[in-house]
Amino acid sequence: MAGRALIVAIAVAAFFIAPHALAEFHLFQICLVAGTALVVLGLIVVTGFAGQISLAQAAFVALGGYGSAILAARWGIPLWAGVPIVSIGAFVVGFVLGQMTLRVSGHYLALVTLAVTAIVQIALIYSDNVTGGAAGMPVPAFEIFGLTLSTGGQLYYVIVPATAMLFLAVHHLNHSHYGRALAAIRQSETAAELMGLNVLRYKAAAFGASGFLGAFGGGLLAPLSTYLDPAQFGITQSVYFLAVAVVGGMMSPLGALVGSIVFVLLPDFLQAFQTYLGLVFALLLLGFIVLRPEGLAGLRLPKGIVAALPRLGGERR
Amino acid sequence: MTERLLHVDSVTVRFGGLVALDNVSVDIARGTIHAVIGPNGAGKSTLLNVVTGLYRASEGDVTFEEESLSGRAPHLITRQGIARTFQNTELFGEMTALDNVVVALDSRYACNGISAALHDGRWRASEAEARGEARELLALVGLSEDQDSAAAALPFGKQRRLEIARALATQPKLLLLDEPAAGLRAAEIEALNRVLLDLRTNHGLTILVIDHVMALVMAISDRISVLNFGRKIAEGVPEEVRASPEVIEAYLGKKAAHAFSA
Ligand SMILES: Nc1ncnc2c1ncn2[C@@H]1O[C@H](COP(=O)(O)OP(=O)(O)O)[C@@H](O)[C@H]1O
Ligand SMILES: [Mg+2]
Repeated sequence: MAGRALIVAIAVAAFFIAPHALAEFHLFQICLVAGTALVVLGLIVVTGFAGQISLAQAAFVALGGYGSAILAARWGIPLWAGVPIVSIGAFVVGFVLGQMTLRVSGHYLALVTLAVTAIVQIALIYSDNVTGGAAGMPVPAFEIFGLTLSTGGQLYYVIVPATAMLFLAVHHLNHSHYGRALAAIRQSETAAELMGLNVLRYKAAAFGASGFLGAFGGGLLAPLSTYLDPAQFGITQSVYFLAVAVVGGMMSPLGALVGSIVFVLLPDFLQAFQTYLGLVFALLLLGFIVLRPEGLAGLRLPKGIVAALPRLGGERR
Repeated sequence: MTERLLHVDSVTVRFGGLVALDNVSVDIARGTIHAVIGPNGAGKSTLLNVVTGLYRASEGDVTFEEESLSGRAPHLITRQGIARTFQNTELFGEMTALDNVVVALDSRYACNGISAALHDGRWRASEAEARGEARELLALVGLSEDQDSAAAALPFGKQRRLEIARALATQPKLLLLDEPAAGLRAAEIEALNRVLLDLRTNHGLTILVIDHVMALVMAISDRISVLNFGRKIAEGVPEEVRASPEVIEAYLGKKAAHAFSA
């Protein structure tokens, strides 16, 4: 308990010191990492925890971004209220979609969720009186307590705490009967069913959670990017989120954070290779699937590190 | 006659051309231990799979407390009061023994989603309650020492008993056990038999136990049905079944049957 309190104290201190110690650009990047991590966290819940591959994440992100922007522009609902509202809507959409599609699995599910992303993107293009069509729409400013937050340094105070709280909630849920049920379903679906678990409902709830987190992340990222257009939410983007999850590690919330840090910071390190960035990401994805399916977060296990160290040492010699 | 709890009514199960169960009827009386025996491939596991909703009967019906179970989803049949173990154990291998049981208790104890997300007092209380009952169930099958071991790491005999504890956690009226004695040593079978008799006598449970070796269930069964090639060939109290020429023939072949009758 004392250890936990210490960690919380350090995290809170770091949170308030960072804006004074870091440049605006870095705060923007922290926001980008946090928003992306939230989106990828949704993917980890549905694909990692519930074992259902989803390529619909970009669609949920679009729902969160566009949904809250439209609520603000048309009905004057501020983003701080609009983002949670739209996210709850995305949960319902994900849950219903899950009930309908999760009887199937594997390749077929990948295709269905891929189709969802494609349909949402097309809908955004053709509903141009609401969404601005292919040209897109500006995102209204994030206003709260009479303040207008527009830069990364300002949005930092909303995006980082919201992300931290949702990560904590997912961590808690994963260590409650929800996480237990999903783990049971992963390990033996038949036995889980015969323990009285409504397997389809749990899977659908996981899909709903991925919708909620995707939309929440999308709603937070939108004011950061200030402009939305359908090209940001295509199938490529869904694959990108999947790559972040695979590289970070599918089986723990930490994987979402680690993967997002890598994928947000990597382009800076690889500036010389800007044109080949897509290729680098694709190779990373492939490499991790083949060589390190548990992702980078799997590394944090002391067991893994202990086991790997002598081996690495041995190879060097 | 005692009240019947489960009624398997002329059930036929076909897999393509193969008839796994051929017009089988069995009644299980409440408060008894009923054994279904028969050689490998006789259709015993198929019978359990039909009762628990994993397989559909091609013909016939299963009623539980005089209510038809046909077409009902497995998790609803479990909630109705039927639980089972598996021939090749189906534990949640990476979870601890305790968590394996808690999973089955969750549908009764789990708190709401908000409490679970906050890990608040209500969540703590529901976890503590579920864990407390899980520990009692582990004690009942003699696994108190093993609650923190991963299920997959337990020796086979203990895995079998863990499956029983997990099944009991769903509060069944009827417990179905698929070859619980297979692969166990004599001492382990003794322990298992004691647990089953205790469950029937002191906890009012009805038990349907499957075995392919006769001797094991003879000692504890009130009634025995014998399957061979998907057909029920005999039924009765243990002494009757042991003396039945059809049963001897099914188990030992024609020659032996003649030798016995001679
Ligand atoms: N899912 C299935 N698909 C095809 N055949 C099956 C299936 N389940 C069981 N069978 C067949 O039905 C027959 C009875 O099997 P089973 O009920 O497992 O026998 P037992 O448990 O008495 O050894 C066997 O011939 C088996 O191969
Ligand atoms: Mg069998």
